[in-house]
Amino acid sequence: MAGQRLSFDGVEEGDEAPVVSHKLTRTDLTMYAGASGDFNPMHHDEVAAKAAGLPSVFGHGMFSAGLLGKALTDYVGVGNLASYKVRFTKQTWPDEVLTTRVVVKAKRADDGGRFVDLGCSLANEDGEVKVAGEAVAHAD
Amino acid sequence: MPDFSEHIGRPTGAGRIVVERGPIAAFARAITDDNPVYHDADAAREAGFAHVPAPPTYTFAIGNWGRFPEQQPEDPTGGVNPMAEVMGGLMASGGIVLHGEQEFVYHRPIVAGDVLEHRGVVKDIYAKESKGRTMTFMVIEDTYTDIDGQPVVTSTMNLLHRT
Repeated sequence: MAGQRLSFDGVEEGDEAPVVSHKLTRTDLTMYAGASGDFNPMHHDEVAAKAAGLPSVFGHGMFSAGLLGKALTDYVGVGNLASYKVRFTKQTWPDEVLTTRVVVKAKRADDGGRFVDLGCSLANEDGEVKVAGEAVAHAD
Repeated sequence: MPDFSEHIGRPTGAGRIVVERGPIAAFARAITDDNPVYHDADAAREAGFAHVPAPPTYTFAIGNWGRFPEQQPEDPTGGVNPMAEVMGGLMASGGIVLHGEQEFVYHRPIVAGDVLEHRGVVKDIYAKESKGRTMTFMVIEDTYTDIDGQPVVTSTMNLLHRT
């Protein structure tokens, strides 16, 4: 039960998934706060964020991980990830254009099946990496 | 550096979670994912799912939805969450707490209608000196199993406090 899997024979090391690009808005932060239940005011309360010395509200790390996760599942099919790991390296800010990068690192087969190892990251328009990580997908 | 090793193995919480379709769709919208499988039960079934599946990072938010008081097990923490105790204690003398890393291991997709048993535990806790600052890392492992005890998702969060 899952979306269309990657073809093990059809992918090669170095292949890249289609990118997902998104300009971050304060509305995104509000929607993510409501949908995730994360009401840390630094993500939705501009007054509180400025009082804490920040230039503005900033994005939830898990929003970035979610946007990158969309690029992954668009590529490998929903339900086909075996694992997904991210490191949060920089904060995201409203009006930044966040763009995903998903690259095939390796493919391997063992008793558990066929797998594609992926590297993934999310960066702004200046190339500053916000989230970096890796994922493993089941393949056919 | 303080020794926090006594906290390793302490429970951080437990719960029973009913996975609901509405919160999944709202979460998918919030991460800008319009994939029909998250929004349309027919599209989900056509893709081979029993019901609408959850996006891969939904597990991080899952405990905020479908955790109904009348279904909850006894609180294994005794009312004291070690995360709040350790990080709160460090914050009392300043610094910040950051979400450093997050990992999910998927044993099968989560779908609407699943009833999951959640258990959280302190997996590791350690400190490092870096550039004259102390970084204290706390690794929390949250396991989600179905009601038959079969593993569904394991989520590992690395929190850090920086002085």
